[in-house]
Amino acid sequence: MKKIIAVHSYKGGTGKTSLSTNLAATFVRNGKKVCLMDLDFRAPSLHAIFKKQNLDYWLNDYLNGVCEINKVLIDATNNNGNGGKLLVGLANPSTEAIRDMTAKDRKWEMKALGRLLALRSALLNDGNFDYIIFDTSPGLQYSSINAIVAADIVLVVTSLDASDINGSQRMTSELYDLFEKKTGILINKVIVDYLKSKEEQKKFTKKMKDIHNLPILATIPCFCEVLRAAGNFIFTEERPDHPFTETLEDLAEKVEKF
Amino acid sequence: MAAYRKIEGKSTQILEKIRENLEQLNEKIDVMIEIQKHGQRELPENLPEALDVMTLLSLPDHLRKTAVTLCKLEKATADEVSEQTKRARAVESGYLNQLVVMGYMKKEREGRKAYFYVDRET
Ligand SMILES: Nc1ncnc2c1ncn2[C@@H]1O[C@H](COP(=O)(O)OP(=O)(O)OP(=O)(O)O)[C@@H](O)[C@H]1O
Ligand SMILES: [Mg+2]
Repeated sequence: MKKIIAVHSYKGGTGKTSLSTNLAATFVRNGKKVCLMDLDFRAPSLHAIFKKQNLDYWLNDYLNGVCEINKVLIDATNNNGNGGKLLVGLANPSTEAIRDMTAKDRKWEMKALGRLLALRSALLNDGNFDYIIFDTSPGLQYSSINAIVAADIVLVVTSLDASDINGSQRMTSELYDLFEKKTGILINKVIVDYLKSKEEQKKFTKKMKDIHNLPILATIPCFCEVLRAAGNFIFTEERPDHPFTETLEDLAEKVEKF
Repeated sequence: MAAYRKIEGKSTQILEKIRENLEQLNEKIDVMIEIQKHGQRELPENLPEALDVMTLLSLPDHLRKTAVTLCKLEKATADEVSEQTKRARAVESGYLNQLVVMGYMKKEREGRKAYFYVDRET
C-alpha cells in the first residue's frame, strides 16, 4: 500500500531526521521507490546528509509555487540493483530562506497545504512512488501540522524524557486525534539495560503502549555508533549488520503493514 | 404535433427549473438547521480569512472532518464528500453550506451540480 508518512515529535533532537532517513534507506533496500522530504524549514538537515549545497530549486520553491516538484527532487539512490529508488526533496538552508519561511502568513500556509496535498496524486498515483516520508520540525509548527494533515500516518519519535512523553501525549489528543491520523510511536534512544532480553523488551513495550495508548512500532536503543556517525552518512547503508539496522528493518515491516 | 412537442419541451424545462429551485431551497434549509442545531456561538467572532491548519484545528469535530475532506478533494460536490466521510449526503451538504456561510469555502454551480472548493487565490 502506498503511503505518506510524517515523522514528527514534540521536542527537538529526538531522532526524527536520523530515523526518517534510515527508514527511507531501509525501504529502498527492500526495493521500494521512496521520496524523502525535508519539511524542517527552520533547521534544514537533509542537505547536509546528502551533501548538496547550491541547488536551483528547493522544496521552498515548490511550496512557493515557483516550480513543480520534479524540478526539486534529486536522485540519491545508492545503486544496489534491487529496483529500489530514493529521491530527496531538500529545504533551503540559507539564512535568508529560513527567515523568509518563518515570516509566512496564514494565507501562504493554506496554499502550502494545498501544494503538499497535491503531492499524493503527483508522486503516489502518477509517479509510482511507494512512500513519501516527511521529516518535520518539532512541536506545533505550521509546516509540521501541514505535513501531518497531508500524511496517511504519523510516526511520533519520543525519548523517555518525562517532558517528551507528556508532550507526545498532549499532541496525540490535541493534534493527531483531531485529524483522525493513524499514529504510531517510536521510542528512541532507549537505555540498552531496558532491552537486555526479549522478555524485558516485551515488558518495556507493553509499559510504553499503556502510557501512550498507541501502538509502539519500535523501541530503538541508544547506540554510541549512531551518535558517532554524526549524520555524515546513512547508518543503515554503511552498517548492514548493526543492531540499529535490524531495528529499522523491523520498523519498515511494521510500517508497511500498519 | 410540432406544437405539442414544443409544449412538452417547455414543460420539461419548467420542471427542471422547479427542481433546481427546490434543491437550492433544500440546501438553504440544511444550513439553517445546522446553525440552529449547533448554535451561532460555535462560529468564531472574527472570521480569520484563511482555512489553514490552525483554523481547521479550531473547528468543531464534525465540521473539521468535512473541511479536511474538501481540502483533499480540492473541489467536490456534497455527494463526493459524503462518499469519503461515510456520512449522509444531506448531512454533508448542511456542513458544507455552513462552512460557506462561515466564509471558509466557496460554492459554485455548474449546471445542476453545486461544487464546493477552498479559494486559495483571493
Ligand atoms: N538511536 C540513537 N542512538 C544514538 N544516537 C541517536 C539515535 N537516534 C538519533 N541519535 C542522535 O541524536 C541526535 C539528534 O538526532 P536527529 O537530528 O535525527 O534528531 P531530530 O529529531 O531530527 O532533531 P531536530 O528536532 O533538531 O530536527 C543526532 O546526533 C543523532 O545522531
Ligand atoms: Mg531533524
